[in-house]
Amino acid sequence: MSFGRCFLKLPYFTNMFIVQVGALLIALTYYTNAQTSVVAVNTTIPGSEQSASGLRQLAVAVVPQSSVFHPSLRSQFSLNLLSAFPEDLEVSNYCVELLAIFGQRYSTYVNCLVSAARPVKVCQNCYGTYGNLMEIYKNISDQMGPGNVSCRDSLLRSDRLMLVFLLYSNLEDIWTASECNRCVSLRHYSLTNDTLYFMETLNQSLSCFEKYQKGNHSELCTECKATYRGLNELYSRMEKNHTLCIDIEDSMNMTRILWSKDFNCSFPRAETVPVIAVSSFMLFLPIIFYLSSFLHSEQKKRKLIHPKRAKSNPSFINIQDKFS
Amino acid sequence: MHPSLLQDSVRGCPKEIPHNEKLLSLKYESLDYDNSENQLFLEEERRMSFLGFKCLEISRWVICGLIGFLTGLIACCIDIAVENLAGVKYYVVKQNIEKFTEVGGLSISLILWAVLNSAFVMVGAVIVAFFEPGAAGSGIPQIKCYLNGVKIPRVVRLKTLVVKVCGVICSVAGGLAVGKEGPMIHSGAVVAAGVSQGRSTSLKKDFKIFEYFRRDTEKRDFVSAGAAAGVSAAFGAPVGGVLFSLEEGASFWNQMLTWRIFFASMISTFTLNFFLSIYNNKPGDLSSPGLINFGRFESDVSVCLLLSSPKPCVISLSTVCLVLNPVFNILNYWLTLFRIRYVHRPCLQVMEAMLVAPLGPDQSEDYPLQLFCADGEYNSMATAFFNTPERSVRSLFHNPPGSYNPLTLSLFTLTYFFLACWTYGLTVSAGVFIPSLLIGAAWGRLFGILLAVWAVPGKYALMGAAAQLGGIVRMTLSLTVIMVEATGNVTYGLPIMLVLLTAKIVGDYFVEGLYDIHIKLQSVPFLHLEAPATSHWLTAREVMGAPVTCFNRIEKVGTIVDVLSNTSTNHNGFPVVMPVAICGLILRSQLIVLLKHKVFVELARSRLTQRKLQLKDFRDAYPRFPPIQSIHVSQDERECMMDLTEFMNPTPYTVPQETSLPRVFKLFRALGLRHLVVVDSENRVVGLVTRKDLARYHLGKHGLEEMQLAQT
Repeated sequence: MSFGRCFLKLPYFTNMFIVQVGALLIALTYYTNAQTSVVAVNTTIPGSEQSASGLRQLAVAVVPQSSVFHPSLRSQFSLNLLSAFPEDLEVSNYCVELLAIFGQRYSTYVNCLVSAARPVKVCQNCYGTYGNLMEIYKNISDQMGPGNVSCRDSLLRSDRLMLVFLLYSNLEDIWTASECNRCVSLRHYSLTNDTLYFMETLNQSLSCFEKYQKGNHSELCTECKATYRGLNELYSRMEKNHTLCIDIEDSMNMTRILWSKDFNCSFPRAETVPVIAVSSFMLFLPIIFYLSSFLHSEQKKRKLIHPKRAKSNPSFINIQDKFS
Repeated sequence: MHPSLLQDSVRGCPKEIPHNEKLLSLKYESLDYDNSENQLFLEEERRMSFLGFKCLEISRWVICGLIGFLTGLIACCIDIAVENLAGVKYYVVKQNIEKFTEVGGLSISLILWAVLNSAFVMVGAVIVAFFEPGAAGSGIPQIKCYLNGVKIPRVVRLKTLVVKVCGVICSVAGGLAVGKEGPMIHSGAVVAAGVSQGRSTSLKKDFKIFEYFRRDTEKRDFVSAGAAAGVSAAFGAPVGGVLFSLEEGASFWNQMLTWRIFFASMISTFTLNFFLSIYNNKPGDLSSPGLINFGRFESDVSVCLLLSSPKPCVISLSTVCLVLNPVFNILNYWLTLFRIRYVHRPCLQVMEAMLVAPLGPDQSEDYPLQLFCADGEYNSMATAFFNTPERSVRSLFHNPPGSYNPLTLSLFTLTYFFLACWTYGLTVSAGVFIPSLLIGAAWGRLFGILLAVWAVPGKYALMGAAAQLGGIVRMTLSLTVIMVEATGNVTYGLPIMLVLLTAKIVGDYFVEGLYDIHIKLQSVPFLHLEAPATSHWLTAREVMGAPVTCFNRIEKVGTIVDVLSNTSTNHNGFPVVMPVAICGLILRSQLIVLLKHKVFVELARSRLTQRKLQLKDFRDAYPRFPPIQSIHVSQDERECMMDLTEFMNPTPYTVPQETSLPRVFKLFRALGLRHLVVVDSENRVVGLVTRKDLARYHLGKHGLEEMQLAQT
């Protein structure tokens, strides 16, 4: 019976952000799992009534959004309009705590992201907070709490909005897009050696810039050229090894702009002359070719053949008359 | 040609004129679509059991499946080869540039790039110019002619296929402004013609299968399936492929054939998809149904905007069509004429291709390098040009608004326009689809940027691409479906259709489509859909050739040999008369087989045990019947007699002398005839209408004009 209902609820899921079929299927299976497990909980664990409403208030206080929790199975039970649900449908104490921690860490990470937005330092500044967030989310989704309570179902999958999951996946997307994984080894909570080395080289260049910035820029150009070139080479090496994250890309971009726009140190454009010369020579060749083939190659002539026609063709002569 | 001029030249001696578009070449012959229902045929049909017919039907399906499979495989090979070769080239040049950027030797890199391009293109041009000139160009005009019923020499040979595939790989990897999609259609057609025959004459290998299909009629059906499979592999558009075949070969059609062709198309696109996904290490992903992929277009409100803003959108689009498309075709027309007249030697053709190659997109492709940019900056133009044209099209469609600078984009459009126009018609195998899509996408995008009210320049790029392509090739139904299928979104059907409609109407007002221009310049006797509009007053009497060389039903061998050997009258069909009234029609190919097997009345009498000639003997000689010179007939044999009764087609189509030209034309085109006998009231042969007699009339500026026959 519950299986049938499950399929009836499908439209809810199609409204979700996850539009890929695969994800939909996964969600569907999870949904059925969730249903059966909730029913199982219902039958096996008679929960404790005493603190249900209190906990609920706590949850509301800590995570204001959670007031939208609507257990989707409400209709299965003939309930009165109670302000609190029976204990077996409520979120356990443990989970509410987890949720509160998740909220704190979430906001810390977002704050960090915003402050590191420009110039981009989201990887080097925020990998710690991201690691924390990831940890708590893992706790919610994987681990079993005391009394064998899993918060995964109650927090992540009880409604069609799946807010916690949604919030987390948004941040995960940002993390993936910035490719911070290439600069940070999350397992050790540290930046990779490559990144550190790059930062060091970058700092050398920047300090060199600072040193000569006051005086003539041409002096800067000559003095800092070595470090700048070293930085460039390092960057292209890292590009080949795929160890670039957004922080490095951005700082390199800024340095390059500084170098070529602000200090005007880009190599001189003298070579545009030979380039243009070569190009125009290549443009010139076809013209010569066509001219010479027009002048020297003999024109292709066609021999006309006169097919046999009926001897007297009065109408041929008349074509013109008939038309004019 | 003016009729009075014609009269002059008839009186004078044979004269030579420069090549022009108003000629019909003698080297093109018709295909024999009309089935010769002679006694041998009837006998074979009687012998064939019910099961035999069922088997034939099944083997047709098998052949179509094979055609689709092989075509898809070829497309896959081309794609992979081009990708790798171009990758190597880009890698070498990039290395070189990186090495020289700071030292300041960019001109050296430029020369390296040019030399590499030229080398690739040289290989492509040499194999085309010296080994198989039939493989030049996109091959679509040739296939169009073939489906129309013209036998283009060597167009469906294995050698052509090999040269075509290698040539395409070289020219695309060589950075010419060309695409690899058009040649796929030709390749598919060759595959079809080869597979359906169950043998290869070039390799001298006969598998002894599918012997029943060794006829022009059957072969044509399979060739249309092959062309469809080619389109479907090129664009991932199976329905578009079927419609392409329908549009080009529409006069001969039936439902079962359509269904089979659809099967071939489906197999082809699936094969390509399957193998490419394996190559890309994503088996089961199946995300590349065609050689070109437009990427995913979401149907959102912007489609409505495109439609609901008809005034600025359609008017401006059509003005651009008005300017760009006819210009492309006219320029290419003059260029092609010049090439035919002056650049006709193979070595000159190779040289020309090599000279165009370095000028190819490389001029723009060097921009991304820091040459004109500050350190580490790459402009979006650069990424568009450092890519293969397919990818550039996609980025023009999908890059977010603001990625392109209008000035550079317009510069690019202009350069690429002239380059593409210049490149098409070189002696390399290459298509025009992708370049025109790219030009169209570029100006469509430009237009979208300038309009800027509805911020969806990508959608305008799509519309522009459709308009440009439609304006150049002038296909209607099939192109719409191809574009819709490549877009993967039916919602775009209506705007694309409207745009194509406008492009065709505007374009037709000025000049014909590119393929038709090339067909004309090749002097092919092409039969259009209908006879010229003002030709009803012309009757068969004026159109036909006369007098006709006829044979008696029992004819002297010497006479036959003499007639066949006469080079000045290279006739192919001979009415058989008894004694003066027509009683049949016999083909040159049949006579040659008869002579070869010495089917003479006297010999038959003396040797009673002589094996009776069967239809199989005719099929074995197909399609390359030996020339008459290679058949030795001794002096004694010349005195023998030959009985043609058994072998001639006893019921050829005939028309009375008063039949009007459009009537004759309709009969000719609908039945795929090669010879139409004109008879008088007593059934005596007075003339013979052939394809060239009909194709020479066309509607010019001064009313009905006539084209001349010429030796080419």
